[in-house]
Amino acid sequence: MMRGGHSPFKPRPRRSWRAPGELLNFTLYFSCVVLLVLSRIGHNAVVDVRDGFAELTAPLLEAASKPVIMARGAAAQVRSYIGAFDEIDRLKAENETLKQWQWRAKLAERNVTHLRSLLNAVGEPALHYASGSVIADARGPFLRSILINLGRDHGVRIGYAVINGDGLVGRTVDAGGEVARILLLSDLNSRIPVVVGHGGARALVSGDNSAELKLEFLPDRASVKAGDEVFTSGSDGVLPRGLPVGVVTGSPGAFKVRPHADLRSLDEVSVLFFDTPTLTRTDPPVLAQDGALSASADDDEVPEDGPSASVSPRPADSRIKQAGASRAPAEGIVQTRQ
Amino acid sequence: MSRILPAVSVLVAVFATAIPWGLPAGATFIPPMVVMMMIFCWRALPGTVLPLSLAFVLGLLTDFMSGGPLGFWALMALVAAQTGGRAPSLAGGRAPNRLWLVWAGVAAGIGALSWLLGSLYVVQWLDPWPFAFGTLVSILIFPLLLRLLVVFTGGLPKPKFDRGSA
Repeated sequence: MMRGGHSPFKPRPRRSWRAPGELLNFTLYFSCVVLLVLSRIGHNAVVDVRDGFAELTAPLLEAASKPVIMARGAAAQVRSYIGAFDEIDRLKAENETLKQWQWRAKLAERNVTHLRSLLNAVGEPALHYASGSVIADARGPFLRSILINLGRDHGVRIGYAVINGDGLVGRTVDAGGEVARILLLSDLNSRIPVVVGHGGARALVSGDNSAELKLEFLPDRASVKAGDEVFTSGSDGVLPRGLPVGVVTGSPGAFKVRPHADLRSLDEVSVLFFDTPTLTRTDPPVLAQDGALSASADDDEVPEDGPSASVSPRPADSRIKQAGASRAPAEGIVQTRQ
Repeated sequence: MSRILPAVSVLVAVFATAIPWGLPAGATFIPPMVVMMMIFCWRALPGTVLPLSLAFVLGLLTDFMSGGPLGFWALMALVAAQTGGRAPSLAGGRAPNRLWLVWAGVAAGIGALSWLLGSLYVVQWLDPWPFAFGTLVSILIFPLLLRLLVVFTGGLPKPKFDRGSA
């Protein structure tokens, strides 16, 4: 018995159940959960729909991105004009240092060539690459990726390394006909095997969504210090060896890697066509088109003894170029840093 | 117009989330939060129509644009739309400060839920800073966006930001 005559069993006015509305709400929330689960397990339907959507919206995004990229370029130019005098002084000093390095590099190159000829070493195969523009910045709170206007029609496959003028940017994780999604180095799911410093210590660089990358699995006695250069090791059998990744920062025990490439403002990137047995197995050339590098019938003949660069003939696509340390670059062909 | 404008304006905002603005790593939560804020505002503004199902579709489009898991922003859009539909109305020229306060709560909820759900999705604790920063920025720019949307709708009562009340 309740005091004041308020009984817990007093019938309350029953709220009318608006069946269609409530059912719709439930269905929508339930759909979200189902979609999240399907996305988590990487269901093919989700991947296909996402690829189709990216393909569909690519022209629109490309058109919308152009003025923004131009505006960013203009802003950068204004900034460079403002600090032009300081920049000239800095470049003069840098030029002096580089002249010394150029002399050393030429000497080293002569030595390497001589030693290679003594060893009868096989030259590095040339790498093909295609350059494209960033059309969408698909970065979320727990994702770091971009869309570029190169796809399977241009020979792009899943797993190819993507670089810009400064260094490694990421790798392709999705490829449609005209667009491809690049997982940036800073993404949580990015893991790149690397070699660090002069000692060539092997380690793993992983993203954590921040501007700097984590340097993990360094050997205990590795002589690594801040300022050491980090390159891809190629030991994953997917990425080419020797691509510049970044520079070591931080202190022992908490080393980080600051990427050479500015991952915030990417405009133009290049996809390296580096076919390896691992890559060919994970992304067979089923959707390949005529003229696409991944369509080459020679892919099946790649030796199983480790990573090797694609040596398929240069395709007709004008955006696909060639780079390689062993060949002098032809006019208009840019050489990648390796 | 009251039916088309909300959907079209949010759609434009959704597409804007995918444009490479060159935002720093800590600011990636801001563009999708603006979309959520617009959904909330359109649902709260009297005389405009943005059905829950449409909010879901727009959230799903945000998922496609962000490249993240499907259903993530769709879920947040549903939360924003439902709370927006139940938020204090601006009809009769009432001050929007209460609406701002409600959005502050909703944004904090969406930020916390996103961080939790995101951490659950990738099975590791995510850095909460981008979520907190995005939430804070969305709270700060809310009056500006609300004023902008009210200007767009034209016929709605103009908001009065009285400094005295909360």
